[in-house]
Amino acid sequence: MERREQRVLSRQTWLCLQPPSPPTRFLSTDKAQMSSSHPFIKSLSLDSSCFSSPPVNFLQELPSYRSIARKRTTILSRDKQNGTLLRPTDSYNFQLEGEITEDLDNQSIRKYALNISEKRRLRDIQETQMKYLSEWDQWKRYSSKSWKRFIEKAREMTTHLELWREDIRSIEGKFGTGIQSYFSFLRFLVLLNLVIFLIIFMVVLLPVLLTRYKITNSSFILIPSKDVDIQCTVYPISSSGLIYFYSYIIDLLSGTGFLEDTYLFYGHYTIDGVKFQNFIYDLPLAYLLSTIAYLALSLVWIVKRSVEGFKINLIRSEEHFQSYCNKIFAGWDFCITNRSMADLKHSSLRYELRADLEEERIRQKIAERTSEETIRIYSLRLFLNCIVLAVLAACFYAIYKATIFSQEHMKKEIDKMVFGENLLILYLPSIVITLANFITPIIFAKIIHYEDYSPGFEIRLTILRCVFMRLATICVLVFTLGSKITSCDNYLCELCGYNQKLYPCWETQVGQEMYKLMIFDLIIILAVTLFVDFPRKILVTYCSSWKLFQCWGEQEFAIPDNVLGIVYGQTICWIGAFFSPLLPAIATLKFIIIFYVKEISLLYTCRPSPRQFRASNSNFFFLLVLLIGLCLAIIPLTISMARIPSSKACGPFTNFNTTWEVVPKTVNTFPNSLQTLVYGITSEAFAVPFFMIICCFSEKELITGLREEYQYFLYSVMAEGARELSDISLIGALIPFVKATSS
Amino acid sequence: MDKGHREQEEENDKDEYGMATHSSILYLQEKTTVGRVMLSVNPFRDRICRVFSHNNLFSFEDVLGMASVFSEQACPSLKIEYAFRIYDFNENGFIDEEDLQRIILRLLNSNDMSEDLLTDLTSHVLNESDLDNDNMLSFSEFEHAMAKSPDFMNSFRIHFWGC
Repeated sequence: MERREQRVLSRQTWLCLQPPSPPTRFLSTDKAQMSSSHPFIKSLSLDSSCFSSPPVNFLQELPSYRSIARKRTTILSRDKQNGTLLRPTDSYNFQLEGEITEDLDNQSIRKYALNISEKRRLRDIQETQMKYLSEWDQWKRYSSKSWKRFIEKAREMTTHLELWREDIRSIEGKFGTGIQSYFSFLRFLVLLNLVIFLIIFMVVLLPVLLTRYKITNSSFILIPSKDVDIQCTVYPISSSGLIYFYSYIIDLLSGTGFLEDTYLFYGHYTIDGVKFQNFIYDLPLAYLLSTIAYLALSLVWIVKRSVEGFKINLIRSEEHFQSYCNKIFAGWDFCITNRSMADLKHSSLRYELRADLEEERIRQKIAERTSEETIRIYSLRLFLNCIVLAVLAACFYAIYKATIFSQEHMKKEIDKMVFGENLLILYLPSIVITLANFITPIIFAKIIHYEDYSPGFEIRLTILRCVFMRLATICVLVFTLGSKITSCDNYLCELCGYNQKLYPCWETQVGQEMYKLMIFDLIIILAVTLFVDFPRKILVTYCSSWKLFQCWGEQEFAIPDNVLGIVYGQTICWIGAFFSPLLPAIATLKFIIIFYVKEISLLYTCRPSPRQFRASNSNFFFLLVLLIGLCLAIIPLTISMARIPSSKACGPFTNFNTTWEVVPKTVNTFPNSLQTLVYGITSEAFAVPFFMIICCFSEKELITGLREEYQYFLYSVMAEGARELSDISLIGALIPFVKATSS
Repeated sequence: MDKGHREQEEENDKDEYGMATHSSILYLQEKTTVGRVMLSVNPFRDRICRVFSHNNLFSFEDVLGMASVFSEQACPSLKIEYAFRIYDFNENGFIDEEDLQRIILRLLNSNDMSEDLLTDLTSHVLNESDLDNDNMLSFSEFEHAMAKSPDFMNSFRIHFWGC
């Protein structure tokens, strides 16, 4: 009985603080009940002093007020006597419809929790109400409705245009939302690369193609470079006498030979401008701006995508992000349609909840550690982290050595070498990177076992280390190349600023390295699928009598590894797009091929894992890793654009010291007022617009989240206080204080 | 009296998962594509049927209403409202401990469930979302918890007929 009164109490407390507009019918029928059950309720006075404006206004700001206001209908329909849920077709129906029509102005009928026949009746009532409005209001309502309908239809149309919708839906149904989010992520990267390629095509390729194929009446402007030593402008295109057949294959795989002086690489665009009929198109500026544009677009799109769809609850720690409420109330995926998937979902929920409770227990155990144990653990962790750093340093050194070896031997007479040796030397950096990325996760997984973290943290730390390893290897490669380019025999590159003997057109050579990395990555993915996944499946299916294969088991789709693989590919694309304008198109094709290969591999060779990733968590993790990749890609690009002198023998920047110099030179040609304006904007911190973009997206959410949290916290404190003090008027006194501190 | 009679009826028809199989639910599951394809493996199918039906009968409009709530375009407040009704097993207007335990049992669907596990999980859920410490979730508390839950919108939907 006590409990029942408490129940009534909390609901009534909430309801009583509603504004005076609820119809008196409701209040009068319940007044008798309210006053009879509890002394606290008796003291509630239902006159206007109870509904003085500060509490009302404060509570109207709470987000739940709106749902309560709308929900008045359903609250009414709960039977007070025995608490059962009344059907809306009962006698209260007429009353509640009357109330809804009072505030039908802005509410869409869709949001009401009623069944279809009631909603139809409401719509009729609303339409008859419309007749009593002025012409202007009628037209306003009609136009807003048709606009909403148009937007919905447009949205529906665009969802039909979504790429691979049916494939991803069926994967979701069979393997769960975690794996589906991987494929959605892959689709996002395909679209991103396509848009990047379109930008580069429009801005750089199109004018060149139009002029070269004489589609428009335009011509190239070639300004011979002055103040530059003639030796810097020499660019020997290697062409040897006897060409073996397989050299074409080598050229295709490594971007040398016949591919070197094509649209694929930077060196082909040795143009200083395009003269159209009415204006001169500044190609160097366009080239630089396209790079900045695609980097900025990628950043904005990734941030936007990570913010939409779910609230980043930055207030709470990572553990609460996967809260029990989320797992229990939103744990069952209502999309599941077949029995095996349902069994899998049950077992994964069992696993997840048990693992969470286990993690709590371990965390408690950790908190109860003695100081000696803590010292021992921390020193052990320090030692193991040093080992991790040593492993990373060893890998980086191996990559550095391999790159230098490969670069030095590439300059020799490659045609005279044996076919296999050729390819080995050309692909040596890629091979070493792939081997390092294969071995280090195994080492990290072994090491973290001894570090004695909680299971969730273990997984996250391992993934973080693997991410860093993968993405840092590219940076090491690029920096090795950079150091080779800027170091000459006598350690001073006075002549041209870079080593023009070995690298007459160094941007093209960097582009070639990126191209090789990309092609090799694709080959490895295809090879692993063909020569590891499928044989494994065949062996496990047909030779299951052998103990070895039984233990090995069928493959599971490892989401973190696959995601790292495609983020690695995307980072190469971002770095390489400056040095090789067609690289984003190749990346688009590569990701399309990977999508189909991975889909086939998943459907035919994988079994669903008992440990499932949650989609919300996955999305955030994928985009975070992608953002790390983007930041790591921007660093070598800015250094090469701003520090290393551009090649004088090829490319659009032969007349500039560095690539970035285009911008100041262009700004100097502006009229004076515009110049001062530009200097003014750039003298403010460049980070200001950057922060504004980030702020617009995330801080708004953060602040509303914080505000809600605070207000709900205060409400709960008030409710407790009210129960103890039995005096609602005291709450009225507290409200102004609460309001002042919460705004 | 009426309630007792109903409970007895429920006792008599239960399927292998211990869920009540009213004739209306059987009708939905066997005669309609919706029931057969979408709801046959759902652990809350009896609750869904009860919430969306009227007097244990389904009309076409009830199925339409159900489809509109579970569609992707439905607004969150509508979904939260119906989720609350579905999870409120004893229909007292609150999700109390008994409801929570039944939800967890349905979700985990296992025969060897220790009491400790159940009470642990229940207490964790209540710790997180029960703001006024009355050991049950009112609608506003449930709404608050679901508004912060990142998976709710993705889980609480059914794909109907390829749309």
